[in-house]
Amino acid sequence: MSTDLVVSDLVAGYGDAQVLHGVSFTVREGEVCAILGPNGAGKTTLLRALSGMVKARGTITLGGAALTGRPPDAVARLGVAHVPEGRGTFMPLTVEENLRLGAYVRRGPSVEEDLERVHQYFPVLKKRLKQAAGSLSGGEQQMLALGRALMLRPRLLLLDEPSLGLAPLVTRELFRIVRTINEEERTTVVVVEQNAHLALGIAQQAHVLETGRIVLSGTAAQIQADEQVAQSYLGYRV
Amino acid sequence: MSTTKVQAKPVAVERRRRFDRRWAGLALLLAAAIYAPFQLVPFHVFQLTMVLVYAVALLGLNLLVGHAGQISLGHGAFFAVGAYAAAVLMDRWALPYPLTLPLAAAVAFVLGLALGVPAMRLRGLYLALVTLAIAIFLVPLLKRFEELTGGSMGLTLAKPQPPAWSGLAEDQWLYFLTLAIAVASFLLAASLLRSRVGRALHAVRDNETAAEVMGVRLSFYKTLAFAWSAMFAGAAGCVYTWVIGFVSPDSFTVNLSITLLAGLVVGGLGSLSGPVLGGLFVMFVPSISQDVNDAAPGVIFGLLIIAVMYVAPTGLAGLAGRLIKKIPRKE
Ligand SMILES: Nc1ncnc2c1ncn2[C@@H]1O[C@H](COP(=O)(O)OP(=O)(O)OP(=O)(O)O)[C@@H](O)[C@H]1O
Ligand SMILES: [Mg+2]
Repeated sequence: MSTDLVVSDLVAGYGDAQVLHGVSFTVREGEVCAILGPNGAGKTTLLRALSGMVKARGTITLGGAALTGRPPDAVARLGVAHVPEGRGTFMPLTVEENLRLGAYVRRGPSVEEDLERVHQYFPVLKKRLKQAAGSLSGGEQQMLALGRALMLRPRLLLLDEPSLGLAPLVTRELFRIVRTINEEERTTVVVVEQNAHLALGIAQQAHVLETGRIVLSGTAAQIQADEQVAQSYLGYRV
Repeated sequence: MSTTKVQAKPVAVERRRRFDRRWAGLALLLAAAIYAPFQLVPFHVFQLTMVLVYAVALLGLNLLVGHAGQISLGHGAFFAVGAYAAAVLMDRWALPYPLTLPLAAAVAFVLGLALGVPAMRLRGLYLALVTLAIAIFLVPLLKRFEELTGGSMGLTLAKPQPPAWSGLAEDQWLYFLTLAIAVASFLLAASLLRSRVGRALHAVRDNETAAEVMGVRLSFYKTLAFAWSAMFAGAAGCVYTWVIGFVSPDSFTVNLSITLLAGLVVGGLGSLSGPVLGGLFVMFVPSISQDVNDAAPGVIFGLLIIAVMYVAPTGLAGLAGRLIKKIPRKE
């Protein structure tokens, strides 16, 4: 069985306010998919629907297993790691405690192995293991959030605006690491990003979301070349 | 890389030193606790015993409020359940007193679990109200089942007597029993919190949503924390019965629950020394405010809480920590 992510006719929202009006797309196993779109389009809502944080109708399957209707902790157990907008690290806890929490749904000696692996990806974190997560810089916190997600050994990694509030250099470093993770671990990635350049740089497929609907889909190269996208998200005309 | 090595070492040394100081402090405290009953008059030994009893109850409340981030205005009810469980077991079934401790703790735990399942679906103010309701209903309930509980008259029991080999007086024996139970409770709570479960509780407290997407089942852990907190309260209540030798519904009114919560907050939420300092508060502050102004002890009590929170917003434990840091150290 492949671990393709298949989303079809996804409808989701908050209470009476419907935000997503029938979203469908597929991400192949081991690929990176970028979701672009203006503020308020529903990108965050889409990721929340995928991880079970908001109630959704329609179907979401990962490797054939249905995710729809499951609570977030059950979705996490199926190997979906969500790095939320604003990171959601546990500020008063130490870096190490945060990382160990990431492996929460697993037990056993493999946790130590995974800690080692995360230290290799993020040497910064290794130096700060006993430090409170709240005392990390924004960039380090984003690394921690990503590192913590890796501790789950995810099949699917959901990243919500990882570049938010980060310096360009740190952002590039972060995307380089995401790409390495994707290549080395074959983790499927769905990344929502305002920095379209970077997102398209690591993605194979991309979709543009506007007011809760996908208005444009294609390969990263096609999207990059699209005049409309260029104007709206890349900041230049082709 | 070389720069990081240079700073990494002092940090490790510093941590090490803090660790040593902490153990030294604990050892000193324990030594003082063992020495004290031989120096004090029985009434003061009794007071110290009660401080420890409340500290055990607050240890439980601290798990729920300080570590899992939930609120309870009904902690006194579980304390009462433990106290009555011990009293009834000793009075009606003539059980030897040591057996009542695990049973009282178990009864409170099960009740905590049963009430925690529905209550822990609520948050904030609603949870506060439901737990308050538990505390309010308890007193009439205790009076209602008169055959078992002795009604408003309560139950009077013989206090545990010191075995001859110990050579201790009654108050000293009760003190040492309580001290041993308190130490065991602290070790148990500390090991709970250091485990994977402890991390999950902290995650729930700090960021529910993030905890949930990492696979932490919120309702499960909240309920577990509630049941544990009830278990510690039940154990403390049982020891209360041993020490006082008397239970009556009016000892366990809503006031007790509120004083316990106030004591914990004043002592210091989420810290291990908080419950002990809180125990001192619960034991002494209500009677001090009674002394200061007989007409309105509640006002004095409230003012005292406000004063402490103003001087020490992180509780007395936080204040003590800050003062200790100020003491100059030899290098
Ligand atoms: N918790 C919530 N409750 C109610 N409405 C919400 C909530 N979160 C988001 N919304 C609404 O849903 C719509 C989509 O929001 P969403 O956060 O998904 O957008 P987004 O594409 O991620 O935007 P941005 O780029 O600014 O992060 C917005 O109109 C927003 O007001
Ligand atoms: Mg968003």
